[in-house]
Order: sequence, then C-alpha cells, then structure tokens
Amino acid sequence: MSNTLLSIQGLTRRFGGLLAVSDVSATIAKGELVGLIGPNGAGKTTLFNLITGFTPPSDGTVTFDGQDVTGRKPWRIARMGMGRTFQNLRVFPNMTVFDNVSVGAVGAFGQSPWRALFNGGAHSRAVSERSWEALERVGLTAQAGDIAANLSYGKRKYLEIARALATSPRLLILDEPAAGLNDTETAELADFIRRLHAGGVTVLLVEHDMGLVMGSCSRVIVLASGRKIADGTPEAVQRDPAVLEAYLGVEDDAA
Amino acid sequence: MDVNVPDARLMPDTLAPPAAFSGRGRRFAWTLLLLAVAFGAVPAAIVGTGSSYLAQIAITTMIFVILSASLNHVTGTAGLLSIGHAAFYGIGAYAAALLSTRLGLPFIVTLPAAGLIAALFGFLVALPTMRLVSIYFAVATLGIGEMIYVILLNWIDLTRGPMGIRGIPPIGLLGWQADTLLSRYLAVAVIAVACVWVLHRLTHSYYGNALRALREDDQCADSMGINVERLKIESFVVATFFAGVAGALLAHTSAYIAPDNFRFMESILILAMVVVGGLGSLPGAVVGALFMIVLPEALRDIGDYRMIAVGATMFLSILLLPKGMLAEGTALGFVRRSFSRGWATIAGGTPVGWK
Repeated sequence: MSNTLLSIQGLTRRFGGLLAVSDVSATIAKGELVGLIGPNGAGKTTLFNLITGFTPPSDGTVTFDGQDVTGRKPWRIARMGMGRTFQNLRVFPNMTVFDNVSVGAVGAFGQSPWRALFNGGAHSRAVSERSWEALERVGLTAQAGDIAANLSYGKRKYLEIARALATSPRLLILDEPAAGLNDTETAELADFIRRLHAGGVTVLLVEHDMGLVMGSCSRVIVLASGRKIADGTPEAVQRDPAVLEAYLGVEDDAA
Repeated sequence: MDVNVPDARLMPDTLAPPAAFSGRGRRFAWTLLLLAVAFGAVPAAIVGTGSSYLAQIAITTMIFVILSASLNHVTGTAGLLSIGHAAFYGIGAYAAALLSTRLGLPFIVTLPAAGLIAALFGFLVALPTMRLVSIYFAVATLGIGEMIYVILLNWIDLTRGPMGIRGIPPIGLLGWQADTLLSRYLAVAVIAVACVWVLHRLTHSYYGNALRALREDDQCADSMGINVERLKIESFVVATFFAGVAGALLAHTSAYIAPDNFRFMESILILAMVVVGGLGSLPGAVVGALFMIVLPEALRDIGDYRMIAVGATMFLSILLLPKGMLAEGTALGFVRRSFSRGWATIAGGTPVGWK
C-alpha cells in the first residue's frame, strides 16, 4: 500500500457526551479525487479538523505519507504537504493578493529572521516564484497587487486555493469550496478542480453540494451522525439505501 | 488599487527593470535623503545653533524612534498588543547603568548587554503569555510592566529606588568619549539607524509577511505551515531587545535614570506614536515618534495649552486618518518602490513581493 497518501484508522472524537466522529476509517491513494459528503452535523468539519491537526482525536490514528501524524501540530502537518482551504473564507484581508499567497510558500520553505537579515536572496526568489506560479494557476496574477479584502467573493475563494497550492501540497483538502457560489460559479469551480486534479494534485473535497461531488469525484465517502455509512463510486453511493435514508430522510423513487 | 489590469506581465527586476527602478541614483535616493537628514541637516543645526536644547530633543527623538519602531514590530506587524514596552526600556536602562557604574564595563559591552537582558526578560514573559489572545495578552503585558516598575522602585539595594542612578558614564568607544552634544547625538543616531535598518529588513521581507499573517489570522497561518508560537515569541524578543538598547542609550546620554522614566504612561506614549504613525508601518512608526516628540516642543510658546493641542492633534489625526499618517499598505508599497525591496513589478507599475 505504498500508494496510500492518507490513511485514517478508527478515528473518534468525543465532545463531552457527544460523539462527533465515531470509528471512521478510510484511505486516500495518491492521485485520487475523493469527495467527503454528509448532511449538516454529520461530523465533516470535525473529521477535517482531526485530519489537519486542529483537534486531537479521542481515539484512532492519522497516517500521512507513511508517517503517523496523530496529535501533531497543524503547521507540522501542513509542512509535510497537507494543504487546506477554509469553509468560511479566511484570506488575510489587509495583505495584498500576492502577499497572501506568499504565506503559503513561506510555510513550505520555512521562515527565519536570520535569512531576512542576511543572505536571503535565494530563499526570497524561491518564495516569489512559487507564489507567482500559484497565482497563475488560479488566474489571479492581474490582481497580485490588490488588497485581498477588495476582491470579489468568488475571487477570494480562488485566492485561498492559490495560497494552499503555494504550500506545494501533496494532498489538497478543500472545505466546502462551493459554499456561497451560484450555479455558474460552481460549474467553473468544478472544472477548475478537475484540471487541478488532472495536473497531478490529490484532492479531498469536503462538500455539501452533491452536484459538485458526484460530477467530479471518482470516489465518495459518506458520513452521517459521525459514522462512515458509504464509500464507493458516485453511482454506487447514490444507489446506497443507507445514504438515501441519511441524506433525504426518506427513501423516494425519484431516482 | 481597484483597477483591473487585463494583461499582467511579470517583470522581475533581474530580467527587465522598469524605468522607475533603473539607475542606482534613483534606487538610493530615499536612503540618501534620510541619511542626509540624520547625519547632515540635524548635526548642522546642532552645531550652527550650539543649542543643547535642540541636541537633547534630537537625542530623545532618536531614542523614541527605536522604541516606537520596535513596538510597531510586535504590535503593528505581528499584532500582539503590548502595553508594557516601557518596562523593557527600563530593564535595558538599568542594566546599562548598573553594569557601567558598578562593574565599570564599557559602553561597547553595556549596549548589547542591555538589549540581551531585556530580550531575556521578554522571552521569559513571552513563553507563558503567547497562547493568550488579543486583549488578554495586552492585560498580561500591562501587569508585567507594572510589576517591573514596582521592582525598580522598591529593590533599593540594587536600583537605589526612587533616588535613581546617577553618574552613568557617557557613550564611548576605545578611549574616545562622546562628551560633546554633537558627538552624543551622532552616536545615538548611528545606533538608531542601525536598529531601524534591522527592523526594516525583518519587516519588509517574507518573514515580515509571515508576521503579518499572524496578526490577520494566526490559525490560518498555522495551517499554511507557519510555526505560529515560535514566530510570536521571536517578534516579542526582537521588540524587547531593541527597547533594551533604547534604554541603554537613555542611560548613557542622560547620566541619570529613575523608575519614573519607565512608567505606564511612557508605554502609552510609545503606543500612541505607533498608532498615530500607522499600525504595522515602519516608516509610520518613525514619523509617529518624530511627531509626538517634536510637536510638544514646537508648541512650547503656547505654554500650558500645548498638551491640549497635542491631544487634539492626536485625536484629529486618528479621526481623519484611522490607519495612521502612513498606513501600512501605503508604507509597504513605498518601501518596495523607493527602497527597491520589491521582487517584481506587474503591469500598472505595482511592485509585488520582496527581494
């Protein structure tokens, strides 16, 4: 299983008496585009935080690229090559678009006050070039000098993705990227994510928007009430009675 | 700022320097201008007038430039609101004063020692408080600041308490002593310029971008691979180091220090300089220090009304320029352009990135 990039085993998180995530196991192989879906309150965000290191698990392990990263600090996990975006847009509002993206590159290349003082030329050039490449990939180079807060909502989404790309992630986790976008914008985003994936990035897409996930992902993991209830191709998952029940509440014959 | 440039062409300086960037004269124009003021115009005025009053104001301004620039580093750039900066200024001053009067150590030793001792205290304060957020961190620094002031005031055996320490030798180097007003000013100016240069290199770099990211959203910076805790401690240590250096300069230029030089009001004054100048803006911090030291002196003629005038000016400047006299965004663009620190210029002439 050397092809496995991310593997979670028996991941559990309790908040007091609430079992937010219960015994979830899954793997993501290099080069996959996997969707993680589930109704509101299914535990998607908690699972996300367990994987990225923001919340320590009550039980279970997270293995990334062959290393046990359970309980590691988020910045360490990020530096190993796990890039993420946030559900509720978290760009650095008072910094320029370019400077926003550069933070991802600085994270990847490391930061040091000594380098800033003496002999940092090569480091700075590497950060600059990496940042520019990331902006090119999302098509925001024309806005590079703008203050991030002045960008439109949709463009800030792409800025977040560019910032995550600047960390050179081997696994890119997108947290509800389609939230707040209209149908046209969502279609554009789906197209963008597919191109990103085709370019060699492994993507985990945590989503609410069924259309986006079903149309783009080769495999879909379904979470409900903190448990994994399905894991398979979009077609198989859509036909799964457990999924229909969890998602729609009732079994209907619309399909 | 909002202009959308359809065709952004990247022009790294190394490949195709735009017209504005070419020519070494242009490149160093601002640097030369600033150096000419600090080492030409001001010394000329001191010599020309022979005024010890003018020299004293110039020295005080330089010391406060260091204080305000260093507080800006931690509070403006990294976003950690410290309202105890004067305490570290005091630690540096007392360290220099005691090391020179009790142990007879020369200035070349007491200056870095003052910075390092203040930075050590800064480190010890930073370790447990870095997890605190916003206002809680501010209250912690307020408490630490008051504690240090009370210790300076009451540890009579070491600090001589409210009587202060007198007879601190002037700045000197290898037998030479800064015993004239001019030489004293020049020595302080050289050190102040060096301090500002270091802060400039730290702030106007990708390291500085990481600091700004902490201020904007530290959790988010964390998930980008930035070691947030370490960076916060570093910024506080750097700021307290320079506060200590400023303290040593005060001790060696005024020959006498007392705990009252380092009270809470002093911390607030430094903070006011940073805010009036522009939080996060290093040029702003320098301008803010100049403004807050020079204005009250310039208004001496109106007697007791001057502090009212200073207060009113501060109030109005914040009301009209809430981001300060030189707002951060403007200042960063200015530094990229005029000090040639930008990495490249995109279409429209906007410099981006750092060298």
